[in-house]
Amino acid sequence: MVFLTTLFNGLAYGFLLFIMAVGLSVTMGMMRFVNLAHVSLCMLGGYVMVTAMERFDIPFLATLPLAFLITGLFSIALERLVLRFFYGTDDLTQVLLSIGLVFMSISTIAYFFGPEYKPVSVPVWLTGQIDISGLTLERYRIFLVCVGVILTLLILFGVERTRFGAMVRACVDNPRVASGSGLNMQVIFAMTFAVGGGLAGLGGALSASLLGLDPNFPFRYLVYMLIVVSVGGMGTIVGTLIAALAIGVADVCTKYYFPAAGGSIIYIFTVAVMLWRPQGLMGRKLGHA
Amino acid sequence: MEVKLLMKAAVIALSCGLLTVAPVSAQETVKVGMLISYSGISASAGIASDNVLKMFQKKYGSEPGGKKIEFIRRDTTGPNPEVARRMAQELIVREKVQVILGPDFTPNVLAIAPLVTEGKVPAIITGAATRGIVGEKSPYYLRTFFSIPQSVRPMAQWAAKNDIKKVVIVIADYGPGQDAEQTFTKTFTEAGGVITGVIKVPVRNSEFSGYMQKIKDSGADAAFVFMPIGELSLGFLKAYADAGLKNTKLKLLSTGDVTDESTLDASGDAALGVISVGHYSPTHPAATNQAFVKSYLAEFDKTPRLGFAQVTMWDALQVLYAGLEAQRGQKFDPDKFIASVKGKQFDSPRGPISLDKTTGDIIQNAYIRKVERIGGVLQNVEFETIKDVPAQ
Repeated sequence: MVFLTTLFNGLAYGFLLFIMAVGLSVTMGMMRFVNLAHVSLCMLGGYVMVTAMERFDIPFLATLPLAFLITGLFSIALERLVLRFFYGTDDLTQVLLSIGLVFMSISTIAYFFGPEYKPVSVPVWLTGQIDISGLTLERYRIFLVCVGVILTLLILFGVERTRFGAMVRACVDNPRVASGSGLNMQVIFAMTFAVGGGLAGLGGALSASLLGLDPNFPFRYLVYMLIVVSVGGMGTIVGTLIAALAIGVADVCTKYYFPAAGGSIIYIFTVAVMLWRPQGLMGRKLGHA
Repeated sequence: MEVKLLMKAAVIALSCGLLTVAPVSAQETVKVGMLISYSGISASAGIASDNVLKMFQKKYGSEPGGKKIEFIRRDTTGPNPEVARRMAQELIVREKVQVILGPDFTPNVLAIAPLVTEGKVPAIITGAATRGIVGEKSPYYLRTFFSIPQSVRPMAQWAAKNDIKKVVIVIADYGPGQDAEQTFTKTFTEAGGVITGVIKVPVRNSEFSGYMQKIKDSGADAAFVFMPIGELSLGFLKAYADAGLKNTKLKLLSTGDVTDESTLDASGDAALGVISVGHYSPTHPAATNQAFVKSYLAEFDKTPRLGFAQVTMWDALQVLYAGLEAQRGQKFDPDKFIASVKGKQFDSPRGPISLDKTTGDIIQNAYIRKVERIGGVLQNVEFETIKDVPAQ
């Protein structure tokens, strides 16, 4: 029983990591762009949610699509105004640029919202526990798992079954041929970036109640997100999902069963995967492009 | 044309400046470095300190002991010994400060100890709680914060007296956490209690549900928790409530950091009912505190919320002013400064405090408090006082 509860808690955490990281994985895979500022988009989503609830009395559930939308729009602006000028530059330039953006986002948020933690209150029906056939589960985690499953299905459907998804896949697989066949790469990049950013914002909004929200949010979760993306393999959605769930479950379970190891197990796991498959669990072999 | 005008203005301004400065130059200016966090995880402590400085100078003026006082700010950016060292060096060597307010965080205190000793610069620690750093690391250190045993020992004694037999200890796995664990274990077992388990949480941790299950399994009457102010404390309280542990018989005991005013609002109902040991609450009934709270709220309201950080800086300023006052009419001397404030008593908003005669570390009351909602705001309400607890 305890094992199942622990497993469930891990899955909920994993879905949260997935929602936050999936956009990063896609942009890294598709545009070969290392956008560390993705974590700042998560934070922005969190602040959109908190502000909407505090200032405008918008109910929690309604703030979630709002977080997605506003962060998505902001992502387009960011991509068009800054990031697109750095496509095709080397990794180091992109890392330095985007980490600079992270620092800027931290100071900006601290300036406007103050450096302290924001109170996040979810509706009462999402707090506390519920008994399901002998298992005592936290309601908010059940909610997270549900949202996670629905989003995963939507993303998979979108990428595998829609025309836009096919275009995105074409661009990821072989950008040169895709643009040669008349696909407007600029528009597809911007759209993908918007959706990825929107998902980051949604992830940030969903996580705020569980993980806390303050201007230092980006640096607390940057490492986790990079782990998820590199373990899963850049550009693969299923890979990112598997990695996020595995890391979520591994983190929660090892803290319960081997607390002496501290939080180190997930790092060992990451190193092991990287040694075994440097391209990530589902990633394609490097160096094909 | 415009340039010329500007030049003229500058010359006039300069000569005016010279004229006004000249007669005052006989008066000594004491340079004071503020070496605390203005950015990073405890950026709000920096704002809090600036607020308090403003309030303090409004009340006590800006010329203690007939000396002009000049403040120079440097940002430690958090527990960041390399930065702290660099900034301390800059303050001492280039700016030639004579007193430092700060640093915060134990790693910073350790990093700059050789500098303050060599430069003979008294430093009043405002944010590091490790035991023994004052006195041992440098004869020029004083402290107006608190030390881990000063908090933890009274908590363990209170638990033993109040029918709590079995305790599970939850700590953040770093220096002060281990200090808290050892102090609690020693005091509690000597009083006949049993420790059923120790859970060590890594300092970077966002997911607590595995630990909550461990607490459930422990079979203890109470959990004693030490986490640093911020992310970990907040995450712990939320996870504790989410896991349903609030509704069980298990009592939650903690240090004041976990229910610190700076994160109390963000913790929300999860913090209700937590019993903690701390040294300051804005609800402290003494008249000194009531006046202090009133003037802080009038000027700064809740940005940031009044708590221990403000009072620590207030008392550091009291020490500074007392030390300078003692040297009225003389040239500033660091050794005389230290000697004049050691053993001195101060009336603080937190209650009576004094600096230890030999070490210069703080002696203060410890209060056992409970988090309650008063007028819609979560507060640490004191209900028991342990008087004059030493820092060792």
